[in-house]
Amino acid sequence: MNESYEVLSPWAAADPKPLNGLSPRLDDLAGKKIGLLCNNKRAAPLILDVTERLLKERYPTVQTSTFDARTFSVSALEPDRKQEFEDWIKGLDAVIASVGD
Amino acid sequence: MYDAIFIEEHDTPSVTFVFEHFQNDAMSAASSRGMPVIRFVPEAIVSECTVEETIDKAITAVFDGVVAALTKPLTAEEKSPKPREPENPPRIVFKGSLEEVNRFFYQRGWTDGLPVIPPTEADVAEMLTGTDLPPDHLVEKLEPRLGKATVEMIAVNAVMAGCLPTYMPVLIAGVHALADNPVCGMMAASTGSFSPFWLINGPVAKDANIRSTYGATSPGDIANASIGRALGLITKNGRGIRKQIEDMGVLGNPGKYTWVAAENEENSPWEPFHVDQGLKKEDSAITLMFPQSFQQMMPFGTDDKGLLATIVGSIVPARMGSFGVLLTPTNAASLADAGWSKKAVMDYIVKNAVVPDGYYKRLGLDDSKPFDRGNVVITGTADKGVILVPSPRDSEPARVFVFGGFGSWMGFLQGGPPPITRKIELPKNWAQLVKKYKNVVPNYLRY
Repeated sequence: MNESYEVLSPWAAADPKPLNGLSPRLDDLAGKKIGLLCNNKRAAPLILDVTERLLKERYPTVQTSTFDARTFSVSALEPDRKQEFEDWIKGLDAVIASVGD
Repeated sequence: MYDAIFIEEHDTPSVTFVFEHFQNDAMSAASSRGMPVIRFVPEAIVSECTVEETIDKAITAVFDGVVAALTKPLTAEEKSPKPREPENPPRIVFKGSLEEVNRFFYQRGWTDGLPVIPPTEADVAEMLTGTDLPPDHLVEKLEPRLGKATVEMIAVNAVMAGCLPTYMPVLIAGVHALADNPVCGMMAASTGSFSPFWLINGPVAKDANIRSTYGATSPGDIANASIGRALGLITKNGRGIRKQIEDMGVLGNPGKYTWVAAENEENSPWEPFHVDQGLKKEDSAITLMFPQSFQQMMPFGTDDKGLLATIVGSIVPARMGSFGVLLTPTNAASLADAGWSKKAVMDYIVKNAVVPDGYYKRLGLDDSKPFDRGNVVITGTADKGVILVPSPRDSEPARVFVFGGFGSWMGFLQGGPPPITRKIELPKNWAQLVKKYKNVVPNYLRY
């Protein structure tokens, strides 16, 4: 039982990933067009309903646009909708995402 | 998080709501896609919550944070995150007794909680005799962490799990299967506790003593026990999916320890599953499924009518994802003798699994809403009411597998994406390997 074992690591090596910074923030949400991204989890649309109501209460001039994902993630799991998703993003000033988790 | 990162990469600021217990998962997902500084707002809404009052209260409580996430100026780190060091662990990671090695590995989160065999140089070298590929050959980078599953990394985890070298070809094909569909990484981390179920076909099953008969998925066979275990360790140590860090399975799933069976091809009246998947009968193959649950039923009757009624009657309307029927050779023969092909059985299930009239109303629910969010084409089409709807994502939502001993019990696999099948490539020295390890089988004493 006192035998000594020199052992190899089971933890996989991984290359460093190039890291990206965030997009510049907005100075104010008033008058902006805000995207509401909703995935297919049950809580997601309910969360965004409340978010939209609160947004419009606080910023009456805000506009909203919703994108309904069919899955957990448009970019990862819906390659056929990539262009549609990109076009939607292009028309927005910012996005609030609800993934239901 | 993946969509938020995609949005930020398109020069648009974003913020994502994240359940407060899921922050580790969110950060790992963001790091894996190169944006560890992504902004999210923790909230107190459990996954899949449908209680509007709870949601209203929770979102109202954090709404200032949402506004701040979109308007508060970026920090220097958020504008340009500092590059991270490569993760290149030392090859030899520890020296110690059996107990010390186990404690060292366990405390780093590298095990499944059970003791492991210390992966020494000598044992890993023996494991590597199970493949013609060099140790540094990269089999796959596994999402989300993009850990490099090299042949040696697979062999190290295989030793830990108690594998024999004859399982290496199975494990290498299994790792390819894990990488084939991006949804597999999500399944492994899902709140739904989906577990990989591995089905083995072809000559490798007999050569490596992978059980296909009585109790195929119960403990007691080194192959069935250690193949699934090794692939679970690879998921943890390569893919980087650890419990309550990235794996947010709420209830958990015992199948995550190991869940492996060979198809009982010699007693099946039909072509084996890997042939259905386009391979040749003489090929060896591994198939990966990700069911949430496994249900067993005694059939209403053991003739074709009783068996089919049991299958169709066991399909719950609000279920999600693929459906697998596990038939014993006895039940498969009963269906075949009555003229049923495997395809005809599958088609019968899809056609007849329907939501009973008034089902949701009887439960006090609004039946105008889709209850199966795993099957996106179910609402607003002529198929409304059909439970298993073929879709572009899953053209055969019901599948049939034959394994287990002779008996009447039936099994059902519920949920997950369509099966992924990979051919197993055997090494040139396969016959010698098989000869060397074929007799590693339990010899039970009678009493």
